[in-house]
Amino acid sequence: MIELLHEWLVAPFDYGFMRRALVAGLALSLAAPPMGVFLMLRGMSLIGDAMAHAILPGVALGFLLAGFSLPVMSLGGVLSGLLIAVLAGSVSQMTGHREDSAMASFFLISLAAGVMLVSLGGSSVDLTHVLFGSILAVNTTALLLIAAISSVIVITLALIFRALVVECLDPLFLRGQGMQGGLVHGIFLGLVVLNLTAGFQTLGTLMAVGLMMLPATTARFWSKRLEGLIGIAVGLAMIASTGGLLLSYHLSIPSGPAIILLAGVGYVLSALFGRHHSLIAKLRRHAAPLGTPEPH
Amino acid sequence: MAAQPSRLELHDLQLAQAGRTVLEHVSGRFRDGAITALVGANGAGKSTLIQGIMGMLRPMKGKVLCAVPRERRAWLPQQLALDLTFPMSVEELVMTGSWPSHGALTGYCARHYRRGRDVMARLGISHLAHRPLGELSGGQRQRALIGRTLMQEAELLLLDEPFANVDAETVEVLMTVLREMAADGVTIIVVLHDMEQLARLAEEVVVLHHGHARWTTAQEVLRSQPSAADSARLVLGMPGVGA
Repeated sequence: MIELLHEWLVAPFDYGFMRRALVAGLALSLAAPPMGVFLMLRGMSLIGDAMAHAILPGVALGFLLAGFSLPVMSLGGVLSGLLIAVLAGSVSQMTGHREDSAMASFFLISLAAGVMLVSLGGSSVDLTHVLFGSILAVNTTALLLIAAISSVIVITLALIFRALVVECLDPLFLRGQGMQGGLVHGIFLGLVVLNLTAGFQTLGTLMAVGLMMLPATTARFWSKRLEGLIGIAVGLAMIASTGGLLLSYHLSIPSGPAIILLAGVGYVLSALFGRHHSLIAKLRRHAAPLGTPEPH
Repeated sequence: MAAQPSRLELHDLQLAQAGRTVLEHVSGRFRDGAITALVGANGAGKSTLIQGIMGMLRPMKGKVLCAVPRERRAWLPQQLALDLTFPMSVEELVMTGSWPSHGALTGYCARHYRRGRDVMARLGISHLAHRPLGELSGGQRQRALIGRTLMQEAELLLLDEPFANVDAETVEVLMTVLREMAADGVTIIVVLHDMEQLARLAEEVVVLHHGHARWTTAQEVLRSQPSAADSARLVLGMPGVGA
């Protein structure tokens, strides 16, 4: 039995590429879900998707200029992501249109531009690589980059955490304090872009959002507290990353989709059986009797 | 009144919303440690004046002289931009009042938590400390928000109809707390419609009418509104008042 477990769970990591993939996955799992929780709480769950498209032209341009060099492609991704975010923000400010319509327009343009750029300079294999990533091809440079970006995200998030919470809850209070709500929001969007850039090598630009949003939306079925949401989301992301890698190894399926699909299974199960707002919770309808102490 | 100390003065203020002048030639001073009621019909510019004082609306002309630092100014708008689905407990909301003064980077220490508990006890919401904001009644939420301003050690407090949609017991608790705050030297400006509440709470009154502001006292307003003596719930700003 123990041998079987060892063979299923531990032996695959005897390979260097699996170990690197695991570390990359865990690093991303630490940084991405908290961003997802905040995006979800602000009703911006789809912004992650839009931003993922926005980094594509930069990544593609980096690819055209320097070939498959992760640092150059990442830099391009960050720059184009930030550019699109600023453009969408200014268009909505200028015209008074809602930010999501500007964002939607720009991300569609970005997607088309990105695909066009990659096709001009490479083959369809390259395109697949950029769009869907390949976690099993993470080399040491890529790993260092992912770990560095994840660290920057976690540290920055810790620094702006309180301001971010207040900005989500009551933007007027933050403005009343003379703090620029826009600044906090801008830094946060910058972190989202950075995060997606770190994720694109392993999961691809499109699926990097999955590791950000799915654990966060799943956690909503299990906790009503912010710390709870973040903790559960990080845990779920780590389980999905590790489990997805193992499934990909044993069943010879692509790793990125395996990871995200596993997170997706978690979401569906939680929607059915979770503690709060799930189907089961709705059917159970339970009320604590009067005088019950408040849960902590 | 001119000799009274004042941390908040308005000088020939002109405020506009969406290109339309709402208030002009507004000059006056709010007495420190006094509760001033702001009254006027709907659309008279009460919320506009508050936004101007909070520095959220740039004056077209004139200026607001406010000696209170930003982090000691508190504002409770009528329609809160509060996201009630956000997973935060009453205690956490009250505690956010303290972070502007102790910085965004340092954590809360035992002293802050003690003060938070004192504040909640004062407002009678200790038993709700761990309840999520989304599960509170209007009155409980208003108490928690006043708790945040207490935590903030506000020196200037602006309230926009704080007693709307609030239960009678909460009105009593809040009135007591507001009077105590004023006695501690906090300058309080409160938008009120209810004459009975005005009679019980405010000493000074600013009447907004036709784009102008007039400083007066609560007694004078009540005198000019005879039926108010019966503490009938009359709405100020009707014809005949403040003209």
